[in-house]
Amino acid sequence: MKLIKAIKWTIGLTLLLAVGMGYASEKAAEPVAEDTSWQFHDIVDMEFVAQHVKIPMDENVMLIDSRPRQTKYDSGHIPMAVSIPDTQFEKMTDRLPKDKNVLLIYYCEGLDCRLSHKSAKKAEALGYTNVKVFAEGYPKWISAKGHYPSVSVEWVKKQIDARTDMVLVDSRPRRTKYDAGHIPTAVSIPDSEFDKHIDLLPQDKDKLLVFYCEGFECKLSHKSAARAIEMGYTNVKVFSEGYPAWAAHLKSQGQAPVAVKAGKNEGSIDIAEFEKMVTENPESIYLVDVRDPDEFATGSFKTAVNIPVDELEKKLDKLPTDKPVVFVCGTGARSGEAYYMVQDLRPAMKNVYYLDAGLTLKKDGSFVLKKLPE
Amino acid sequence: MKKWIMIALTFVFVSSAIGVGFAMEPTGNDRKGKYTYRKVYKACMARGEVNSETPPVSPIAKTQAEWIRVFEAKDFAEFGCAPEWEALTDEDLLDIFTYLHNYAADSPAPATCK
Repeated sequence: MKLIKAIKWTIGLTLLLAVGMGYASEKAAEPVAEDTSWQFHDIVDMEFVAQHVKIPMDENVMLIDSRPRQTKYDSGHIPMAVSIPDTQFEKMTDRLPKDKNVLLIYYCEGLDCRLSHKSAKKAEALGYTNVKVFAEGYPKWISAKGHYPSVSVEWVKKQIDARTDMVLVDSRPRRTKYDAGHIPTAVSIPDSEFDKHIDLLPQDKDKLLVFYCEGFECKLSHKSAARAIEMGYTNVKVFSEGYPAWAAHLKSQGQAPVAVKAGKNEGSIDIAEFEKMVTENPESIYLVDVRDPDEFATGSFKTAVNIPVDELEKKLDKLPTDKPVVFVCGTGARSGEAYYMVQDLRPAMKNVYYLDAGLTLKKDGSFVLKKLPE
Repeated sequence: MKKWIMIALTFVFVSSAIGVGFAMEPTGNDRKGKYTYRKVYKACMARGEVNSETPPVSPIAKTQAEWIRVFEAKDFAEFGCAPEWEALTDEDLLDIFTYLHNYAADSPAPATCK
């Protein structure tokens, strides 16, 4: 009798457990509602973004990259996007348009990235009425055929300083823009003469090409980049902010770009201009005295470095690119030789000149310049 | 007789005119020429024909007239390094000639050691 009671209890408990487990498993099978509360309510796709990425951008549209600037935006962002990292939102509200009806499109690093959603919500809280999020973000944009990244001024500077193997192309008109001032190491391939100077592009189609022109309003670099991609180049970028941003960046670093006035002969610096520069702003140029050390010891410019012309070839890669390099000697012979050595062995370095004049230097750094006979 | 004198005079005139036409003029780039001239011997030394990258003949080794004769005749035997000289373009040769001529022994600015 006791045995039957125990069996009944066991069966009863087992049934109870089975029912309980069944309920539990039924509960687990139910889909858990995903928490989407972090997502912004107005999501747009790439087609929507593409129709608004124009050069120049419409005044009533702003494309905003919410990702961290240094690690993401600098090395690649959607052309025409401005950088307002979500973490810096409160500090950078002055970058947002005054008109609260302007269309703001935020993006970040794809569907799992919440930064653009957070920023969009903050913008809406500030009163902006037309805010969207391109949720698929940068990964989606860059995966599309024909799309290329834009890069920042900091990135460009970093590549130049690191001597990255790249071809930096100035797409602006040569005489009116490039000759008046350009980014060091840049070659001039005006977009209007792209086909004519195609030989200046590298044969290696995987080599990094970076195009720039006159800022956000300028289409030339984008047109040239598109043509390079059509030609099969696989690593094309555009520095959309262009030369104005470069000049502003140098100014902020206390190094305003120096536009050097060329002299009469190829590669020479205008003598009066040189005299003014070394007197008023000697740090604005990198002066290389290419005479022998014993001559240098008798006197030279206070800011000059001594690299005898016979040793220059070994030290060519030490020459800076962030300011004009000017070679000097006593008569222009060795400095001219130095200039042509750079043209021959480091042709990408464009901001180089030599002093084609008679030059007498004294121990105290004073000097006398004489124009050479024709 | 008169006819022969006329022919002779015409021949002399034409010959001298042709001579003037082909005379070397230092119209190249002497700065570039100096670099190219030295580059010839750097390449030649790298090939092993010479032991120094300094050119063996300096501008002051000849007068301007002598340099003109050398380059008109294109006789560069005394310079050695024939493969490098043969590889030079006409523009390179004109630049080198201009350099050597402009700093010749009897030039207004004879080259010193450099």
